[in-house]
Amino acid sequence: MAKVILPADMGQLWEAMEAHPEARLYAGGTDLLVRLRAQAGPPPALVCLERLEELRIIEERGGELFLGAGATHAQILEHPKVRGRLPVLARALASLGSPQVRNMGTLGGNLVTASPAGDSLPPLYVLGAEVQLISRKAGRRLPITEFIKGPGRVDLNPGEVVAGVCLPKSEGWTLQHFEKVGRRDALAIALVSLAALLRLSSEGVVEEARLAWGSVGPTVMRAPQAEAALKGRPLGLASLGEAAELAGQALTPIDDLRASASYRRRVAGNLLLRLAEREA
Amino acid sequence: MNPRGFQDGRKTSRDGDLAKARGLEMFAADRYGAGMLWAGVRRAGVAHAAIEGVDTSRALAAPGVVAALTHADIKGSNRQGVIQRDQPVLADDRVRHRGDAVALVVAETRQALAAALELISLQLSELPAVFDPDQALAKGAPIIHPGHAGGNLLLGGRVETGRGEAVLAECAAMVEAEYRLPWQEHAYLETEAGWAIQEDDGRLIIVSSTQTPFRDRQEVAEALGLDPARLRMIAPPTGGAFGGKDGVSVQSLLALAALACPGRPIKMWWSREESFLASPKRHRARLRYRLGADSQGRFQALAAEIVYDTGPYDHLGGAVLTLGLEHAGGPYRIPNALIEARAVYTNNPVSGAFRGFGVPQVAAAMEMTVDLLAAKLGRDPLDLRRLNAVRRGDIIAPGVTLTGSTEIGQCLDRLEAHDLWRGRRAWKEAAGPFQRRGVGVAAVMHAVGYGPMVPDVGNAKIELGADGVFSLFCGVVEMGQGNSATYGLLAERVLGQEPGSVRLIQPDTDRCLPSGSASASRTTFTFGNAVLGAATLLRERLLARAADALLGVAPAEMALLPGRVRHLPTGKELPLDLLARLMTPEQRVAVHRHRAPASTQRPSADPVLQMHGLPHEVFSFGAVLAAVEIDELTGRLRVERLITAVDCGGLIDPLLAERQVEGAVVQGLGYGLYEEFLAREGRVLSPDLATYIIPTALDAPEMETVFVPGHEESGPLGLKGVGEVGIDGPLPALANALRDAVGDCPRRFPLTPERVLEALAGAGERGGRP
Repeated sequence: MAKVILPADMGQLWEAMEAHPEARLYAGGTDLLVRLRAQAGPPPALVCLERLEELRIIEERGGELFLGAGATHAQILEHPKVRGRLPVLARALASLGSPQVRNMGTLGGNLVTASPAGDSLPPLYVLGAEVQLISRKAGRRLPITEFIKGPGRVDLNPGEVVAGVCLPKSEGWTLQHFEKVGRRDALAIALVSLAALLRLSSEGVVEEARLAWGSVGPTVMRAPQAEAALKGRPLGLASLGEAAELAGQALTPIDDLRASASYRRRVAGNLLLRLAEREA
Repeated sequence: MNPRGFQDGRKTSRDGDLAKARGLEMFAADRYGAGMLWAGVRRAGVAHAAIEGVDTSRALAAPGVVAALTHADIKGSNRQGVIQRDQPVLADDRVRHRGDAVALVVAETRQALAAALELISLQLSELPAVFDPDQALAKGAPIIHPGHAGGNLLLGGRVETGRGEAVLAECAAMVEAEYRLPWQEHAYLETEAGWAIQEDDGRLIIVSSTQTPFRDRQEVAEALGLDPARLRMIAPPTGGAFGGKDGVSVQSLLALAALACPGRPIKMWWSREESFLASPKRHRARLRYRLGADSQGRFQALAAEIVYDTGPYDHLGGAVLTLGLEHAGGPYRIPNALIEARAVYTNNPVSGAFRGFGVPQVAAAMEMTVDLLAAKLGRDPLDLRRLNAVRRGDIIAPGVTLTGSTEIGQCLDRLEAHDLWRGRRAWKEAAGPFQRRGVGVAAVMHAVGYGPMVPDVGNAKIELGADGVFSLFCGVVEMGQGNSATYGLLAERVLGQEPGSVRLIQPDTDRCLPSGSASASRTTFTFGNAVLGAATLLRERLLARAADALLGVAPAEMALLPGRVRHLPTGKELPLDLLARLMTPEQRVAVHRHRAPASTQRPSADPVLQMHGLPHEVFSFGAVLAAVEIDELTGRLRVERLITAVDCGGLIDPLLAERQVEGAVVQGLGYGLYEEFLAREGRVLSPDLATYIIPTALDAPEMETVFVPGHEESGPLGLKGVGEVGIDGPLPALANALRDAVGDCPRRFPLTPERVLEALAGAGERGGRP
């Protein structure tokens, strides 16, 4: 049987991590426990983070919104500061797994698993999220693009845990959009997903566009060329079609059981066209 | 720990639902107990090999291991299978697919078991393997069963009627197409599981998740060289089966383990991955169809060539082929036909029984081909089907005359009158930006029962207990469809008792009577008649005994009422518990044997096809209307509404019948849209429910089931089977709807977003919408 440690406060957490440096950390376990089941041999010691109140905070801090790493997807989804103001994130979380998975899985878990198909990640990329890390002695903060280094690879040192993410104050986005393409409507792993933030002038001209795709590269992918192609032009099928073309060239999807690279590339571009139908 | 304790108890469609939803219904997998051992098998891991040795010594020496066994420990034939006994319990000379069991280990804990299985050393000499049915039939292909007369051809069947395919050349319109249908995994909630103990007197009790307890007893006895009387098989309600448990899975292995470990209860429970690897699938198939009609649209000729990949063992593959052959031309009059079907051995995962049993594949091909023909003739596809649909007395493509109730015409009429069909043009035009909509139809038929040779028999037993309560001893398994609740209703109706008052005893070879498998849309059709017979017999006996007790009044003056018998002229009453005590135990039990009618037609002279079930006497019918919406940007296909019109004769419990249809429809949509069991060189590429996608509740469309009035003379209260007819139509109906929406449809399944997007692109190149 695996040893499971359930620290009740941060002091106990640091003690547990020092006593069991080989231990695996988890909160909801929706990724880690599935992986351990498939693993041969005795399971490692586990440190469960779910009782740590400090990690579940969702609050405004000096103009930023802080989302604790231990907050479940359901808690974030239901939070008024997210639901009302960050529909791009709320829509992504609403498409994540199933009610059961959203009630167990946490934002921190989605970050550390660092799957290119992690549903919370494309919104965090376009929102300019920074990841807050803490250890017993210190803390550091780095942009999500630097924290996530590849599939399953993150910049996390021994003795560190993810405290949460900081989202800069909303920059007056006129349009927030998220769409996920899966093989079915629930419990679906993204074949492709798109998070988009657009700021439009009163004439409907794009002033700024931020686009991020899931499942089309080793990490969530941005396509600056596509964003540039939209800037300064009216939002419509013409500009979006051009951006779609450029996005298709910039992304680096792979073939797997769920879909081919060429399907992913094509649909990644196509998803931009939906923005033409979105009410600003 | 008592394996007998859980099977009694009333189950109606109402209280059974709640128990199921709360997880209170006890499956075979739910049994645990103190001192229980775990059994598991080491699987081969290679697709084709000669076995040179199996060394269990290291496993046996490992901590917590009680036994480690190989084929050398088996005293019997070491072969199981329903028709061909070609599958070893533990592989002996040869491995024929990666999932073959080679050694059996029994250990104190699951952890000790897992560790010990790794310690078994297999000396295998790999043989060339074959994974494609066409290559398996080619000259020089590696032979999988050297003793089998047909080489890698498990069974070939051919039926020619009229002037055969020659008539195609004379047709005013002819279309042809080739289709590929994938393997489908049953993916039941309860994976293969069971529980066994060898008691002090040497008897083996085996509780397992099975559709066939009586046949299991015979197979296990033969494979292990045991007296069948030494075996007691108990079959609790299953957590799903769908055909995947129509054949031995854990039973022989558990018996072998129990022989080696007397007195200890032993459990075996396959993991999801093990179930995916080793359990049978729906046969993947390649079908080439040519269909011709005269200028009026009347079907004139059909040529169908069907190849089923049966994997390394028969596992009912021959019977699947024969049912496919019989249904190849659908519910239509077709005077000239050539139908050729082959079931081919390969080193792929095993294929076998799965709800629909070979028919979903041919229904897909036929119904998509009918739509191609409608397009070529410029005819409305529903209208074309109504023109050609069979009536009682008509002859279907393989030359079978329909003598039973035949209401496909009514089914199609109901779809034609439906607001979805009537309003389809407006609905399609209302599609939003980037969306296309289409409506598709399919018509199907499905045989009920075993066919002409294998006796389709039910033996019902009803007892009035000394406590005045009736018990009904079910001979066929309750696998979630609610058949035992229906038997209860039938018995209560004849015996004049309150609904829910008859105690239902689930199959147990010591207490119930052999009544065949829970399969082939036969359970209520066959066993229901046996229940009616036994209940009638017992009623007459009780009335006669009560009349005697009331001093010689005539039995006709007596009425059997809830809990009592009443003498109508005087109002005198006799409670049932008192009546029971006036009778001997033998008098209080009635049994009745019913054999379903067997066809005397011989559309083929081939006795092998007859033995495998050609032809049937009774068929259920169905027609499906599907409305789909397709997203042009992603290829996502959403089924918005699905209407099924069903002719299953009379209805006993309409709620249960509707659920049977809805369950089959969702499973059929999974077959059409999501479920793609993949294997490369025999290795499973979709080993679990993360990679093998089945529909969830959110994916189910708005469903409507319409039962058309009908009455089948040979069925209980006019009923025909309804377990399978619902699964044949959804795939072709939504494929035809996709074609209606975008002008093209892939010929490969499932219809993944990627395949749909390709179809959109292809149709665009050829000039877009029809």
